[in-house]
Amino acid sequence: MEWIYILPVLITGGASLLCILPFLKFEEDISVAASILALASSIYVATLPDHVNAFMHVDGLSKIFLIMISAIYVGVVIFSIDYIAHIENKLFQMNFYFFLLNLFVLTMLFTVIVDNIGLMWVGVEATTLASALLIATENEEAAIEATWRYIIIVSAGLVVSLIATIFIYAGTGTLSLSKLLAAHPTSQIVAVGAILAVVGYGTKAGIFPMHTWLPDAHGRAPAPVSAIFSAVLLPVALFSIVRIIGAAPILGVQDFAFWLGFLSVAIASLMTFSQRQYKRLFAYSSIENMGIALIGISVGGYGFVGAIVIIVAHAFAKSATFLLSGNVLAAYKTPFISEVKGAYKKIPLTAYLFSIGALAVTGAPPFGSFLGELLILAQVLKSFGIVWTVVLSTFIVIAFLGVNYRVARMVFSEGSSGSESDGDADHVKSPVAVAAINLALALLTTFALPVIYKML
Amino acid sequence: MHSLDSIYLLLGFVEIALVIFIQWQLYTINIIRTFSIGSFLMAAFFLVAGLVSKEVYILTLAFLTAVARGWFIPRFLVKTLKRETWREREVKPVLGVASSIIGSLLFAILGYLIYSLALQPYMSTNLAAVPIALMLQGAFLIISRSNTIAQLIGYLVMENAMYMFGYIFPELPFIVEAGIVLDVLGIVMISGIIIRLREDSLQNGDSEFNELRG
Repeated sequence: MEWIYILPVLITGGASLLCILPFLKFEEDISVAASILALASSIYVATLPDHVNAFMHVDGLSKIFLIMISAIYVGVVIFSIDYIAHIENKLFQMNFYFFLLNLFVLTMLFTVIVDNIGLMWVGVEATTLASALLIATENEEAAIEATWRYIIIVSAGLVVSLIATIFIYAGTGTLSLSKLLAAHPTSQIVAVGAILAVVGYGTKAGIFPMHTWLPDAHGRAPAPVSAIFSAVLLPVALFSIVRIIGAAPILGVQDFAFWLGFLSVAIASLMTFSQRQYKRLFAYSSIENMGIALIGISVGGYGFVGAIVIIVAHAFAKSATFLLSGNVLAAYKTPFISEVKGAYKKIPLTAYLFSIGALAVTGAPPFGSFLGELLILAQVLKSFGIVWTVVLSTFIVIAFLGVNYRVARMVFSEGSSGSESDGDADHVKSPVAVAAINLALALLTTFALPVIYKML
Repeated sequence: MHSLDSIYLLLGFVEIALVIFIQWQLYTINIIRTFSIGSFLMAAFFLVAGLVSKEVYILTLAFLTAVARGWFIPRFLVKTLKRETWREREVKPVLGVASSIIGSLLFAILGYLIYSLALQPYMSTNLAAVPIALMLQGAFLIISRSNTIAQLIGYLVMENAMYMFGYIFPELPFIVEAGIVLDVLGIVMISGIIIRLREDSLQNGDSEFNELRG
């Protein structure tokens, strides 16, 4: 029955292959079916006992990530069908888009169940391979430039994490995650390796100072690609950091991770005020959220639980927000915040959900992100004292104001473009339901806290 | 010192010098050829090391390095260049020749300093300064050049540095090594597609890259 644990990976792999076959023209149906089956099998895996062997390491954390990735996958596939079809001058045909999307999900699912930290690196690097061209789907100059930046910055960062893997192997003689988690090596070379891993995987997670690819890629990718990037790609990179810090819980490494997370929150929150485009605004919000999650991972205890709650709530809320940003773009034909006014009149459903989504991703109660932030701040207070807790809270509030003020202006301000719907947004109306469901799930994350705690 | 270690240090010196040469080269074809030479030298070292130690693993590494990095990747990159290869050059380099050489040299020295000040106490070998220096030089190549192929070569120099680390430390399981090689090949091929698309879009003239700052 061991194969059951890799069923989600097999399903997405099969879907990927079917999409690339030239004589099959059902790539959309295949992808929808695969995403639903992957979600169902992930939920089923979550009901099974933890499983560890020479190749797989499926524990509570893996199960949470399996469900999260699969759930986002369903929404993104459904949204993509309409959205990608309406892109003119696409870089490739629909079947190749779905081939890459399924492959991308496969690499993420693989990364979170594998027992070998070397193969975990291979999985994370493979996500770059599978996802790079997705950013350039719209085949525009800036999108191609953003793709290039993504490839070169992330790949260079991942070389650092590969060296980290070699260092850890040199210090322990094993790459087995389960053996590392049992041994908790603390030698200096492992510590150096763990620090390099935080920097390397942090690059992929959008952690300061290697975060610069993220606003470009998120800003220029099609809405469903931005959604899956922000919702699950960044957390999968953080997952690798969780594994490395879990295996080598060395104080210096945890402190290093804390300060990188702290700087990410600080920089991202300040940058929200200088953004002129709404997708880039949400990209900086993702950096801020990943920074908070990294802080939670580094401080451990309830902070770690808070980090996972934030990751899950952020995944649902941010994917909804990015999907809705596709609707805004379709309706207004502009990526600029200042040119979107009175959205509540033009695209009311999208506009209201958009503003709710902005609240959800910035940690407003009662969403899971609020609860996660509270847990992390409580642990930071315990570990670093009142001063740093207040400073961190200030940056979180700055990000909250920076994002919500802009979104409120887009949605509720009166302006020339605040006329009734001109029908341009019609073709992307149906996926509003996907965004609404994801926002509801972000809300439900709050109530799932006991389940998440039990699984961890 | 073990004679192989001496050869390793000599190779490291040559590799560092080759990266400095790449750093100020404007002609793309020369950059690719220099990288190819560096990769073949590395493969030759692994071949000697494999024959001396009779380790199949190191011989496999030599073969993979020669085929993938010495032959396939440079050949693929040359094919990626659309115009006459001898003509392809970076028109407006970010740094001039002198500052490129000095910058790359400084990063090599910085690599040695990082090693001797921060890492040497924790390592049982003196060889690790070389790959650290190469890593930093590769990173500098990426950030100091706007030519996509030069940037990609910078990434590959970092990957080569990682392979040189691989010699110092115990061998990784083969499945991991194979995964790494496949990943690197994949990255190069995807980059090739993007390089072509980027050339096309740049030739069209209009630029809207202001948004890609900050």
